[in-house]
Amino acid sequence: MEALTAAWAQLHGFVFEKLVEPLVFALGLSTYMEQAFDATEFVLVGAIEIALLWLVLSRLEKWKPVEVWADRRAVRPDMIYTFLQRLGVAPLVFFVILAPAVDGLDGWLRMHDIVPGKLEDWFPGLHENPFASFAVYVVILDFVAYWLHRAQHRFEWWWALHSLHHSQRVMTFWTDDRNHLLDDLVVDACFAAVALAIGVPPGQFALVVVATRVIESVSHVNARVGFGKLGEWLVVSPRYHRAHHAIGIGHEGAYRGCNFATLFPIWDHIFGTANTRGEFPATGIRDQLHGRDYGEGFWRQQALGFSRLAAALRPRKPTAAPVTTESLPR
Amino acid sequence: MKFLAKRVLSPALAGAFTAVLAAGSALANFTADERVIVLNSGEGTISIVDPVAMKEVKRIPVGKEPHHLMATPDNKSLIVANAASNDLVFLDPKSGEIVKRVDRISDPYQIGFSPDQKWFVSASNRLDRVDLYSAPELKLVKRFELPKVPSHIAFDAASRIAFITLQDSDELAAIDLAEHKVIWKMKLGKQPAGVWLTPDGKHLLVGMTGDNYVQVIDWKAAKSVKKLVTGAGAHNFLAMGDGRHVLLSNRVANTITVIDQQTLEVKESFAVPGGPDCMELTKDGKQLWVTSRWIRQVTVIDMATKKVVGKIPVGKSPHGIYFVSHAPRQ
Repeated sequence: MEALTAAWAQLHGFVFEKLVEPLVFALGLSTYMEQAFDATEFVLVGAIEIALLWLVLSRLEKWKPVEVWADRRAVRPDMIYTFLQRLGVAPLVFFVILAPAVDGLDGWLRMHDIVPGKLEDWFPGLHENPFASFAVYVVILDFVAYWLHRAQHRFEWWWALHSLHHSQRVMTFWTDDRNHLLDDLVVDACFAAVALAIGVPPGQFALVVVATRVIESVSHVNARVGFGKLGEWLVVSPRYHRAHHAIGIGHEGAYRGCNFATLFPIWDHIFGTANTRGEFPATGIRDQLHGRDYGEGFWRQQALGFSRLAAALRPRKPTAAPVTTESLPR
Repeated sequence: MKFLAKRVLSPALAGAFTAVLAAGSALANFTADERVIVLNSGEGTISIVDPVAMKEVKRIPVGKEPHHLMATPDNKSLIVANAASNDLVFLDPKSGEIVKRVDRISDPYQIGFSPDQKWFVSASNRLDRVDLYSAPELKLVKRFELPKVPSHIAFDAASRIAFITLQDSDELAAIDLAEHKVIWKMKLGKQPAGVWLTPDGKHLLVGMTGDNYVQVIDWKAAKSVKKLVTGAGAHNFLAMGDGRHVLLSNRVANTITVIDQQTLEVKESFAVPGGPDCMELTKDGKQLWVTSRWIRQVTVIDMATKKVVGKIPVGKSPHGIYFVSHAPRQ
């Protein structure tokens, strides 16, 4: 373990000192050198993570596929999203946009004698136990993720963006990062606000994201894999999450979907949104069967997301007939 | 001794004996059971290092983003400033054991006691503010909104003024401690960080972290009088304890520069790897201990030869460093 840590320190330091530090210095941004150092690690972790996921999950998809497609071109944009998210956009959002914004808000609040709390105020023992502290952060942020996910399906304007994620009918482990960029930004901003409220520094928040997104990639894998009855109460499995993406199941009903949990299915069980039928249905959104286009390429998908958002935000004339979930645009 | 070794012992043994003697002469004078305290800012821990074995013996969680530390004026405690935990932790300066935690200190990045020990100043790098506390009870007296990115602190000998570098607005601010007001600001070069008062009290030296020089300032006239080219990323100062020389770390150039404070000239520079930042010099002046931020290492330099004699792996982004048997602070 020591050798591994030392090797990682060498790699991180080498990449930073040879590539990133000279650039940051030349751009006159030396004040943000520490953030650049953290972002470098974030990108390196992302690169290794992608390589490992590809090595393991692509084999799993070949071994026990749910669906076999002759044409896999639809997977390519998802790969672009993954590379953007894990190597570029996410570090930018965290370290350039969100962290300064949260710091600005934190600074303003504190200047006005409003001191945001932190978990350690209620549980002082967490000061000396970073692992317990980290675990608590993961649970709280996953609980928040559950409700944000419910909101993504509940509000029309948000669904207009989030539906892109669900429009993939060729779902693979790459699909996890298939999100409209504005959807990502809104979700991350909400998380950042919560992180401020409970005292998670942005750097540590990034660590929570890195640690948990492996499970999220696994949950999208195109493989007949379940974790058993007990396992699927504990952690979201590919089978459990597939119901959430299923045509006619995952985006319907009173809650406009089921199995919203990101890591821990317990939230679905508590709030009545769990679907444990244990099937492997086809994925996509019902209106795609009637010809709705969500775009094939990255730019088209982003543009269509904005058009759907504009349509959702446009004021509507009152209708005579009551609105039902079936009549709502998906 | 060398002559005796050559006559009595075989040439091979004599060589080994001479090497041991040479190494022995570089050994610094630490007291028994003394420990070196290193702040791992990137992982919220302190490394406790055995200075003789040059080995980390313990790593203790301390809080989020511990960047700088200093002894209390009575030298009975060591204060660790946890920037992102918004608190101060008091340690036993010899063993590094945690004694107490003082909460609700907003973003303490750099901290300092005025020479008359009446004031405690905390610069909030992240939140763009400087807080003035009465010492020793640490009662908040005044908050100063000081954008952007307040960084390092120095005091005049009369304890009338605190000088604060503002890293992102390229300024130096002077705060009148008794009047509780900012009395002037002056524009400097790129990203001023470390600030140091020369022993004669006439000049301030400011390390330009976004450039490669130290700006010499006649602070009474609030004007720059000289530039000393040192190395890229000129950052932080430490007295050599002889009342004449001061050391400066150059984070990007990976060097440390010796500056003569009487002649205001650069005397020499020597290499230290991995983004050298904070430093601590042994009382006998034999060893310089430096945190190498980007390679998770404390680097020990033999000051006679200016060679690296120790590389001690510690935690992520090591920043502040302290030991009891340090050289005088002037």
